[in-house]
Order: sequence, then C-alpha cells, then structure tokens
Amino acid sequence: MIKFTNVTKIFKSDILSQPFTALDHVSFNVPEGSMVGFLGANGAGKTTSLKIIMDFIRPTEGEVLFSNSLGKNKLEIFKNIGFLPERPYFYPTLSGLDFLKFMGKLSGLSLNQINDEVKKWAPIFKIEFALNRELKTYSKGMLQRIGFLATIMHHPKIIILDEPLSGLDPIGRKELKDVIIQVHKEGKTVFFSSHIIPDVEEICDRVIFLKEGKLVYDGSVNSLMQSGKTQDFYISAHVPPDFVPHIKPKESIKFPDDLQKFLVSPELKNEFLSELITNQFNVVSVEMQKPSLEEIFYKTRGQA
Amino acid sequence: MTFQKIQIIAFYTFKELLKSKILINVFFVGLLLMVMTYVATEFTYGVPERVALDFGLGMLSLSSIAISLFLGVNLLSKEIDSRTVYMVIARPVPRYAFILGKIIGLVGIQFVNVFLLSLMTLVVTYVLGGNISSLILWAIGFTFLESILLLLVVVLMSLLANNILSSLISVVILLLGHAVKETQGVGFVQNNPFVKTILEIYHFILPGFYKLNLKDFVLYKTALPLEYLFSSLVYGLSYSAFLLLVIIFIFNRKNID
Ligand SMILES: Nc1ncnc2c1ncn2[C@@H]1O[C@H](COP(=O)(O)OP(=O)(O)O)[C@@H](O)[C@H]1O
Ligand SMILES: [Mg+2]
Repeated sequence: MIKFTNVTKIFKSDILSQPFTALDHVSFNVPEGSMVGFLGANGAGKTTSLKIIMDFIRPTEGEVLFSNSLGKNKLEIFKNIGFLPERPYFYPTLSGLDFLKFMGKLSGLSLNQINDEVKKWAPIFKIEFALNRELKTYSKGMLQRIGFLATIMHHPKIIILDEPLSGLDPIGRKELKDVIIQVHKEGKTVFFSSHIIPDVEEICDRVIFLKEGKLVYDGSVNSLMQSGKTQDFYISAHVPPDFVPHIKPKESIKFPDDLQKFLVSPELKNEFLSELITNQFNVVSVEMQKPSLEEIFYKTRGQA
Repeated sequence: MTFQKIQIIAFYTFKELLKSKILINVFFVGLLLMVMTYVATEFTYGVPERVALDFGLGMLSLSSIAISLFLGVNLLSKEIDSRTVYMVIARPVPRYAFILGKIIGLVGIQFVNVFLLSLMTLVVTYVLGGNISSLILWAIGFTFLESILLLLVVVLMSLLANNILSSLISVVILLLGHAVKETQGVGFVQNNPFVKTILEIYHFILPGFYKLNLKDFVLYKTALPLEYLFSSLVYGLSYSAFLLLVIIFIFNRKNID
C-alpha cells in the first residue's frame, strides 16, 4: 500500500553545522490490510520517515510510492489516509466539536456525516462530555483520543500514527490499543510507530525495525521471533540432587522438591530426554526457549 | 473543492483569531476617540470634526498596521512551531489552500477592525458636522489595502527569518515604503545620480506604501483625480498578488518540520 523506496534523508540545518544522516537508504513496504509496527529507539528516524510519507519534508534521495488503491494523485491519496502526528498539538481555543468539524470538513465530510461519526465514536472515546469545551482544557489522554477520532472519522483506508500510545497511562494505552485493533478488524491498514516493543508485539502482525537511520528488519513478527530464537529447549524434571546427566546441559537451574530445569540444544534434546526416561525420572515439561521481541530488540541494538 | 477548503480554513482561522481578543483594541480606540472628540470640541475653535477625522484615521492606520505585524508574523510560524499545520496538510488540502485560507482568515479580522473603527470615525465626524467626502472612503479602503500589503510582506519575511527579525525587516520596509517618495524629491538626491538610481531601483522592487496613503490629502481636499486613485489601487492589488505568489512558491517547497 505504501512503498518506501531507498530513502535517504540528510539534515543540514545551516551552513556551519555537520550534515546529519537521519535515514540511510531505507526501503520497506506496508502491505494492504496489515497491522504494521514501526519500531526503533528514540532518534532512530521513525518520525522523519513518516514526515516523508506525508510529504511534510522531502527526501534527499529515494521516493515514496502509494498503491493505486489509495488514489492517483496526492489529494485522492490523502483523502484515504488518516494521520496522527507525534505529540499532536491542537488549536487551543477551538472547542472539541469545532476541531472535529474542521478536520472532517477538510477531509470532505458533510456536517451530517461528521455528526454521525461523532455520535458513534465520542462515547467510545469518552469525550462526549467535553465536546463543547475548548481543547486547551483537555487532558493529554483526551487530546490523544480526540486526535485519534479525527484520524479515523473520514474512513481512511490506512491510518498512520506516530507514537500514538506514548504519554498515556496503562488504562489509556489499553483503551486506545483496543480501538486500534477494532479499526484494523474493520479492514483498515494500520501503520504505527513506537519505541515500546510489547505494544507492537501484542497487536501487530508485521514489524519494521529502524536503528540509527538504517533498516534492520522488515517482516512478520513471528519470523523475527524465529530469527531471534536459539531453538534451545527447557526441560524440567524431578531428578535426584546428585544426578549428573550424561549429556551436559547448557544451563541447569535447581528448584525445590528436586525439580531441575535444563537448557539443551535442539540436536541433543531427544537424547537428553531418553536418558531421563530411561532413569524413570518424572519429566514435567519441555518447552522451546522463546525470547520476547524486547530481548531480540535489545540484542539487535547491541550489535554493530 | 479546493475553494471550499480555503473557505473552511479561513473560517476557523478567523474564529480562532477572534478568540484571541485582538479586536478589543476597537473598544479602546473607540473610547479614546470619544474622549479626544470631547476635548477637541471643548478646546479647539472651529474644527473639532477635523480633529476627530484626523485622529480616527490615524488610529485606524496604526491599529491595522499593528494587527498585520503581530498576527501576521505568527500566522504561519506559530502553526509550524506548534505543528498544528500537520493536522491540516495531512488532509486532502493543497499547501496553497492552507496559505490562502490562513491569510484570508486574518484579512477577515483586519476587515472587521477597519470596518468598526472607520464606522466610528465617520459617525463622530458626521455628528460634529463634518463632511464625508468620497475621498475619505478611498482613504479608508486604501488603509485596508495597505494593511493587506504589509501583512503579505510580514508573512513572506516570517517564512525566511525568525519572528523578531522578520517583524523588524517588515517595519523597515513599511517606513521606507512611505519615505521613498519624499526622499526622491530632496535636492541632494536630485543632484546625486547614484543615490537617485539606487532609490529608483528600490522604488521599482519594494512596495511603495506611500501610494496607498491618502490621509494627508483627506484633511485639505475632497477629491483626487480618479486616475491617481485607480493607478494606486491597481498598484496595491498587483503588488499583493505578486507577494502572494512568492509566498505560495516558497511554502510549497518548504520542508515543514
Ligand atoms: N530538522 C532536523 N534537523 C536536524 N536533525 C534532525 C531534524 N529532524 C530530525 N533530526 C534528527 O534525526 C534523527 C531522527 O529523528 P526522528 O525521526 O524524530 O526519530 P524518532 O522519531 O525515531 O525518535 C534524530 O537524531 C534527530 O535529532
Ligand atoms: Mg519520533
């Protein structure tokens, strides 16, 4: 749906300052119908990439391609995009309702359509009571929610969110995540950036991973987990305290009641198990070692 | 389509600026006008209506210059700094529509200011027995046009420099634009071909604000040749259109971050 092709962005604020490469030949793809997490530490270049997609800034090199299903020209395409900027700032003296009307009209909605959308979503976002208040009186969470409402009210085909969950309390995060999931289920492509991995791991099927302006991963969450997986197994069993296995495990941890947990490589797993079984020890569990995306993330960060 | 978007942006810009209470100056200027007029009727012999007219038009001019300067310098830069601009240009809105909408919204505020202040001035002048000549109406219209021209200068500068610098440069351009006529008549300039050429070049490039200043004529004349008025009008309008094109050209190419 969006194809980010070989994009380089070099910032040069003034003649005296050193040029800074924020994006270095980055290419990735946001497939139609997917929920893509855009991961990277602070300063990795996520916001810069999104600004280039939205044509706020121009790339030094490379281009962004939009699929025909979004539209043929910029205005058509932007009608089908819902974008929520990072730490959005709103016109402080407009009321919540005025803001939604403003945004809705710009996206080509009629006043009736806007009112319908507001009626549908305002209770879900719990901002009904505040719609006639000026935005400067809104809390951070309320702003994020009304911003999200404005992002989806015109039924875009893809929504692009820059750190939508940051700065929200746990309940707020959960609520917003649920709506993002709901919107995705309704068929929208979702592309959102985050530096918080569990959020992405939890709700995304794909992940694009930036590190210091370079692409380090673009693929499904599952295969990233695979790639980070050592394939080792944890085998837990009740064994006598003096038991010394024939095959030396990579690691063994003792628990109360003679329970021990052994870490063995996949090639040796069966052999190790048969030794336990031959000795008639009670095998409690065999599980694959499964690192969280977080572990993989920091491992990848640690490299190079 | 795009025309509608311009209207929408202009409407909400107007609404937001209205809430900034900038028009409260109308109230104070009005009050001052009353006081001045009262003092004038009590203490000047024969011409209180002239004092009222002179003062009213002066205040009108000053306040519209102030609005152009203070609101103009923030019109785009505040949107960019606070990133509200992203909300708008992430929608199906061409950048030029954003610019036009913002400027028209501010011109709307300017119009309300000019309308209210000149209405007060005219009423007071009339009540005091003054004559409302068509030249006075031209002067008011030109003050409005001058404020638009200045606004465009300020907006253009704000795209090129920081707020303080761009206000400063705009004030200088405004002052020079008023002074350039008189300087050309000065003997020193007349006798100095080099300075004369420089001034002519300046005159050719930078806005000649003096062309839109009729206040000096208003008190002593009741009419000016229509030719003069029309050529000034065309000058003001075409210069504004030119500035607008430059602003749009620059904003279209600007990295907004
Ligand atoms: N206008 C700019 N001028 C210079 N450097 C910039 C500019 N914008 C962003 N950067 C730099 O580019 C890098 C990437 O920034 P950003 O895209 O905001 O990261 P992220 O959103 O992943 O946290 C940062 O090091 C930032 O300082
Ligand atoms: Mg960012």
